[in-house]
Amino acid sequence: MAPVSFNNIAKTFGSTEVIRGISFDIRDGEFMVLVGPSGCGKSTLLRMLAGLEEITAGTIAIDGRVVNQVDSKDRDIAMVFQSYALYPHMSVRDNMGFSLRLRRADRSEIDARVMRAARILNLEPYLDRYPRELSGGQRQRVAMGRAIVRDPKVFLFDEPLSNLDAKLRVQMRSEIKALHQRLKTTTVYVTHDQIEAMTMADRIVVMHDGAIEQIGTPLELYDRPDNLFVAQFIGSPAMNVVRGTLRRTGSAAHVETADGVRWPAGSGGGVDGQAVAYGVRPDHLELGGGGERTVPGEIVVVEPTGSETELVVRIGDAQMTVETHGRTTLQPGDKVGFAIDPANVHLFDQASGARLVS
Amino acid sequence: MKRLLTEAKLVLIGIPVAIWTLLPIYHMFLFSISTKEEAFSGELWPAHPTLRNFGVVFREQNYFLNHFWRQFANSLLIAVAVGAITLVVAAGAAFSISRLRTRGGRLVLNCALFTYFIPAAFLAVPMYKAMGTYGLLNTQWALILAMVTIASPYAIWVLKQASDKLPWELDEAARIDGASPLQLFRLVYLPLIAPSLVAVGTYALLLAWNEYLYAFLLLSNDKDITLPVALGHFLSADDSPWELLMTTGLIYALPPAAIYYAFKRYMVAGLTAGAVKS
Ligand SMILES: Nc1ncnc2c1ncn2[C@@H]1O[C@H](COP(=O)(O)OP(=O)(O)O)[C@@H](O)[C@H]1O
Ligand SMILES: [Mg+2]
Repeated sequence: MAPVSFNNIAKTFGSTEVIRGISFDIRDGEFMVLVGPSGCGKSTLLRMLAGLEEITAGTIAIDGRVVNQVDSKDRDIAMVFQSYALYPHMSVRDNMGFSLRLRRADRSEIDARVMRAARILNLEPYLDRYPRELSGGQRQRVAMGRAIVRDPKVFLFDEPLSNLDAKLRVQMRSEIKALHQRLKTTTVYVTHDQIEAMTMADRIVVMHDGAIEQIGTPLELYDRPDNLFVAQFIGSPAMNVVRGTLRRTGSAAHVETADGVRWPAGSGGGVDGQAVAYGVRPDHLELGGGGERTVPGEIVVVEPTGSETELVVRIGDAQMTVETHGRTTLQPGDKVGFAIDPANVHLFDQASGARLVS
Repeated sequence: MKRLLTEAKLVLIGIPVAIWTLLPIYHMFLFSISTKEEAFSGELWPAHPTLRNFGVVFREQNYFLNHFWRQFANSLLIAVAVGAITLVVAAGAAFSISRLRTRGGRLVLNCALFTYFIPAAFLAVPMYKAMGTYGLLNTQWALILAMVTIASPYAIWVLKQASDKLPWELDEAARIDGASPLQLFRLVYLPLIAPSLVAVGTYALLLAWNEYLYAFLLLSNDKDITLPVALGHFLSADDSPWELLMTTGLIYALPPAAIYYAFKRYMVAGLTAGAVKS
């Protein structure tokens, strides 16, 4: 268990800058998720922490000690790879005990620690099997077992669930989370899947193009995205965004789009006449109602999922996703109004993408 | 239909090739079970097949075969030594070029492979001189080192191709687990390329087993030479016992056949690994 801190970290491969000066701290025992689209530099950042990649500039510290020049094996970290990277010629038991064997722990201690990890991960029946004799989920667990046997200062995960099918992914997600709650080891977890990030993280670092867009708890990111990128990246289905001009008259405000729709806005930031991006999440468009805070829509597609119904609707020239609870008798072509509570509206500057705050 | 045609073509090619390769072996076999008188009769099967020739060879009952067992053992010792040393050299080199990414490693490999552009026969004389300089002439080390030199470039190349296919994450996982490069080599790398090691080791072993020219040049003492060189001596007589020459040849060909049969699985997989760039 240990805090980790990144200080002005940069990384270039040849002449391409992949990480552009990143700084943040991970608290002792925290489950930190690095999330961002593919190619944004998450793995590179993690691999620098693991000592698998040279650090071009800046410092990384684990437990207060700068580790730039420290070998992987002396950083006291354990890593779970996307491909699991199990040693194919070793049994599950030997895979899990390998690091202890290299550290010349004695046989009885290795056995005891492997057994303990196997019990935690329900791997006891498989200890004498080889990786090729295991299912994907079991291999995943062995990879985790190999990590926890070590009792390291930090766990690193690089997209560990990407090779599993959807159902197993959900199950392993909660297993990893439960494991963390039990061991309380500082964890850095890389994924491109924002749902994984939202469900597992204590805090999330949203990365884009080698830089940090925002750091915060899952709900902070969801409720108050700092910028348009985070707003559209976090949340599923994604936030609806239209571009228009902010009109402010006294305390009332709305955003006017080129198609003439007047979108209700609140007392948030921005000045009259400013070009803005207007964002509203699919579950904040309320079916029915009329009056001031309502925009007129037309149903395009109805997608029932059982407990909820997802609608694709046309409002003015914009296509929007709307999430309604329960079921509906609406048909494509029906014309309905959608009420929007200004408190749920997100406004961003169109040029910079930054959130407008009052 | 198309498959049938392909198979027909394969059979049409296969039958001549089989006859082509099997005929000399059959001829050799005929000699070995014929008496001296019958050996040149030209029959497809001798009138009085006999195993007497084998007895003569095994009991060293001929002038040319005075040191048969000794020379057989020489061949074996040299072949095994060449196989083993080539493995050590090639595995170390391939690991360092492919996995440790040693600077200049690829250049060294390419230079080594370049030596194959020069026929080994042309290198025999320089090799003879070099061994003379080292004072190794007429010792079996001379032949062992020469054969290792000839076998190594190909062996390194095959192992490097096999090594390149191992996933990087394994090395990284091992490093994080605390493995030093040497531990990585011993505990992860070697077990994983074991099939290729078998193939390469067998290749070097057979190369040395079958070598004539270098053995002839570098060794001269009757008690040091390998069996192929001794067989060469048969030809120096006007009245050679051909049936014994062929019998000895047949016996000499059996161990490679056995080895090939035993390791066939690895040979094919190992030697073709990396044949296709994927
Ligand atoms: N060894 C490397 N050499 C050159 N470019 C690399 C290397 N590793 C990664 N990159 C580049 O760095 C960028 C970030 O990669 P990566 O950290 O793997 O992204 P992510 O894990 O977020 O998908 C990508 O554009 C990738 O092409
Ligand atoms: Mg990645």
